[in-house]
Amino acid sequence: MTKKTKWFIFFLGAVCLVFIPSVSVYAHKVNTYAYREGNKISGECYFVDGSPCKNSKVEVYDEKGKKIFETVTDEKGQYSFLTEQRGQLKLVIFAGEGHTAIYKLEAVTEKRKEGITKRENQLKQKTSTKEDEIKQIVDEVIDTKIQGLRGEIADLRKKLDRVYLRDIIGGIGYIVGVWGLIMLFLRKRHAS
Amino acid sequence: MHISEGVLSVPVLVSGAVLSVVGLTIGLHKIKNENIPKVAILSSAFFIASLIHIPLGPASAHLVLNGLVGILLGWAAFPSIFIALLLQTVLFQFGGFTTLGINTFSMAMPGVFSYYIFRGLLHRGKNIVFLGGFLGGALALVVAAAFISLALVITEKSFTAVAGTFFIMHLPVSIIEGIITGFVVVYLKKVKPEALG
Repeated sequence: MTKKTKWFIFFLGAVCLVFIPSVSVYAHKVNTYAYREGNKISGECYFVDGSPCKNSKVEVYDEKGKKIFETVTDEKGQYSFLTEQRGQLKLVIFAGEGHTAIYKLEAVTEKRKEGITKRENQLKQKTSTKEDEIKQIVDEVIDTKIQGLRGEIADLRKKLDRVYLRDIIGGIGYIVGVWGLIMLFLRKRHAS
Repeated sequence: MHISEGVLSVPVLVSGAVLSVVGLTIGLHKIKNENIPKVAILSSAFFIASLIHIPLGPASAHLVLNGLVGILLGWAAFPSIFIALLLQTVLFQFGGFTTLGINTFSMAMPGVFSYYIFRGLLHRGKNIVFLGGFLGGALALVVAAAFISLALVITEKSFTAVAGTFFIMHLPVSIIEGIITGFVVVYLKKVKPEALG
């Protein structure tokens, strides 16, 4: 072995040593979800282990597949934007290395929306300013109460999407089992 | 590396599935009974490799190890990778059921290429064995990335940019895979040379 090749192998070994400790058992799969609040759409994007996708590009497509908006996620993997679009929206998040998450945000049902605004108008005509105030207060209270629930639902979603050690060990068990069955089957084939 | 559900067009998915079925048939016929434990271990290795995340500057990637599986198994890489991918889909929702065919083909076929091109190098001296493993591992990943990029471009012309980024991002990963594959084959040469058979 010449000195050069020795150095080369040493270099490769060093590269491996640098990389292997930083290898963490967490996967690349990206998940996202989003919800509407009036014209505002908020969402979050995270990896399987629950860590956020920071500074990932988010593209928003309308029903016809036309790109209508583009933004990036923040440090917490969250994003939000305003849109007048009522139809189904497709959110595509690019979290590097070709891994993308797609989320379809359902359309706001126009009829219901119209119904609500009609009723709101009727209410506005009938009610006094005092009742308006009460309505506003109730809205605010409900919003703050729901905030907590929303957080919990988001956490649950993340937990559901995570890969746990038990999944990995279970998976290996399945693989060994499946190959055991194949072996059994092939042995019969060879015997017959 | 795993193409998800609903990205590729139906003709691409169907041709991927057909090619995979052909590969699976050849693979299952070529497996010798005594080799099945080896196939199962490499299935497991492939299954876990996708969970190992490599931070690479701004981008990040995960191991694939299709080159290692291919160079050690030859055609048996098809069933080996197929079962690992199936369980990744079921348990982790990586990829998808409709894309199993194209994913299996695009990862297993390059492994088979590596097997035929570099298997001869595995019976030489230690340095040549490392080189064989390195080239086999790196080439398999590059070709796999090329296959997937090609599948994206065939599906839709507008995917060209995404496909390009996908391909370029996998070049550094291929070097890491090559190094890992190289070390594994050198180690196997030392402790269990018959495994390189």
